[in-house]
Amino acid sequence: MKPVTLKLKKKTKFRLDMSFLSCNPNITSVEKLKSQIIFNGKNQYKVTELFFVSGFDVKNIFIKSAKDIMDNIGKNMDGINITVHGNVGHSFGKEMKSGVLKLYGNSLEHTASGIKGGSIFVFGNTGDYLCGKPPTNNTGILDGLIYIKGNVGNHSIQRMRRGNIVIEGNIGDHSCHQMISGSIIIKGKIGKNFCDEIKRGTIIIKDKKIVKNYLLANNAEVNFIKFYLLQISKWLGKNILPLNKNLIRYHGHKDENNLCEIFLVKN
Amino acid sequence: MKYKGIQIENTFAEAFNMKASRIIVTADNLKWAKNACDSFTGFATSVIACGIEAGIEKQLNKTETPDGRHGYSILLFSMSRSVLEKQLETRVGQCILTCPTTAVFSGIDSDDVIPLGKNLKYFGDGHQISKKINKKRFWRIPVMDGEFLCEESTSRVPAIGGGNFLVLSKNRSSCLKACEVAIDSIRNLSNVITPFPGGVVRSGSKVGSKYKTLIASTNDAFCPTLKSITKSSLANNVNCVMEIVINGLHEKDISLAIKKSIQAIAGSNIKKDIVSISAGNYGGKLGQYHFHLRKIMK
Repeated sequence: MKPVTLKLKKKTKFRLDMSFLSCNPNITSVEKLKSQIIFNGKNQYKVTELFFVSGFDVKNIFIKSAKDIMDNIGKNMDGINITVHGNVGHSFGKEMKSGVLKLYGNSLEHTASGIKGGSIFVFGNTGDYLCGKPPTNNTGILDGLIYIKGNVGNHSIQRMRRGNIVIEGNIGDHSCHQMISGSIIIKGKIGKNFCDEIKRGTIIIKDKKIVKNYLLANNAEVNFIKFYLLQISKWLGKNILPLNKNLIRYHGHKDENNLCEIFLVKN
Repeated sequence: MKYKGIQIENTFAEAFNMKASRIIVTADNLKWAKNACDSFTGFATSVIACGIEAGIEKQLNKTETPDGRHGYSILLFSMSRSVLEKQLETRVGQCILTCPTTAVFSGIDSDDVIPLGKNLKYFGDGHQISKKINKKRFWRIPVMDGEFLCEESTSRVPAIGGGNFLVLSKNRSSCLKACEVAIDSIRNLSNVITPFPGGVVRSGSKVGSKYKTLIASTNDAFCPTLKSITKSSLANNVNCVMEIVINGLHEKDISLAIKKSIQAIAGSNIKKDIVSISAGNYGGKLGQYHFHLRKIMK
């Protein structure tokens, strides 16, 4: 069945809440989707008044020429796939549960905030508070895979509980704050105050700025790391780090009593 | 019926419903993966006294294992879920966790999940680390050579145990040689194992015994030394019988294994000493699956 495709007819004056695509489980047909109401400032519109809609499969949605006024795309998403071309607004994939969310463009703040499962792929940059805490919860992401091709803003990855994050670009200041567990790969540079108040978790980085605070572990073989890189590469469909690269393991902060594990990729 | 000069008896093998699971064992090299697997599958020939029937299914190359190392897949079969669970946990804990450089993963998926490393993680004494990747949870347990990596759970699937055929030969050496040829031909066949030592059984059994406490005893109808005093099923020129027992995940896998084995014997130069191929059954009333030799070899 042909996926549903949406294209904005005209740029609206106010921001658009796109959560109607994923928050309503009763949308089982394209007719029901077309009759959804969207709030825009003081006005209400039917979907067809703002978007060109084509296709039939409401479980696979394409958004063409997206604008950065579109917030909440993929919010609470469960069991559907959304692919977006263009830039998007705030809270992309917020608290999603399952499915695949792909963005060929950039996103604003609070991307992947508090996600509980599924995969988010952003082939561009994201704003601040990536994988942050949603307002109603004191933990960040609970599970899932997040892949960011570009750079990530400040205050990203707060109180991460589980899950896997791969960032190919740089990450901003005050990131990985109060991380509880989970795994992160960062191929670019890290900002200031990285890993403050972290408890546990595994971080694989190329930037050696952080490792001076951590205890150098011995050269014992860690079966997990090759397995992990292999699995993540399979999942993403591309090699994230060469498996034959030497990784230097650091375990535990020198002053704080944390159990964070850092693998530094030897250049 | 004759197949390439070998007489195929008009009989059938009788097999039973079982429960099975598959695990993948990897190590730094094949030698240590094999050591772990040999230990794991030791004393796992028959559910009568071993709890489970287990065997190495096949060797896996680096691209087939989850961690990109050499390994083997093991199939284990049991009559009950609880025994399968208990034996799996015990054997992984004592034979794979203890073996240097190894890691263990689930090799099968179904909705019926059973623990693999779920309870073994406590060996880490609080230093164990959990990692969840793509809906699967893994445990990293610190050990003296570094780290033991194991998947939290594997799955249980319905399976078939007890598929078999008998090689009736003029002498013992040719019978053994024929069995070796047969076992070699199905060594890397998917979804089947031959749980007995080297894949071959010499002590085929019948149900019951003159001794009340025994549930099984020697299959006197196929014992060549008893030919003159019992109701023997053996022809005059048969002096040795060996059995190959095949457990598998599906009926077609066992049929294929039987077919390939007999084809291998028929294609070897040892076939001149093979009198016939038969099969073991209990009259067809006990087992849920019947493997008719002539139907398979058609």
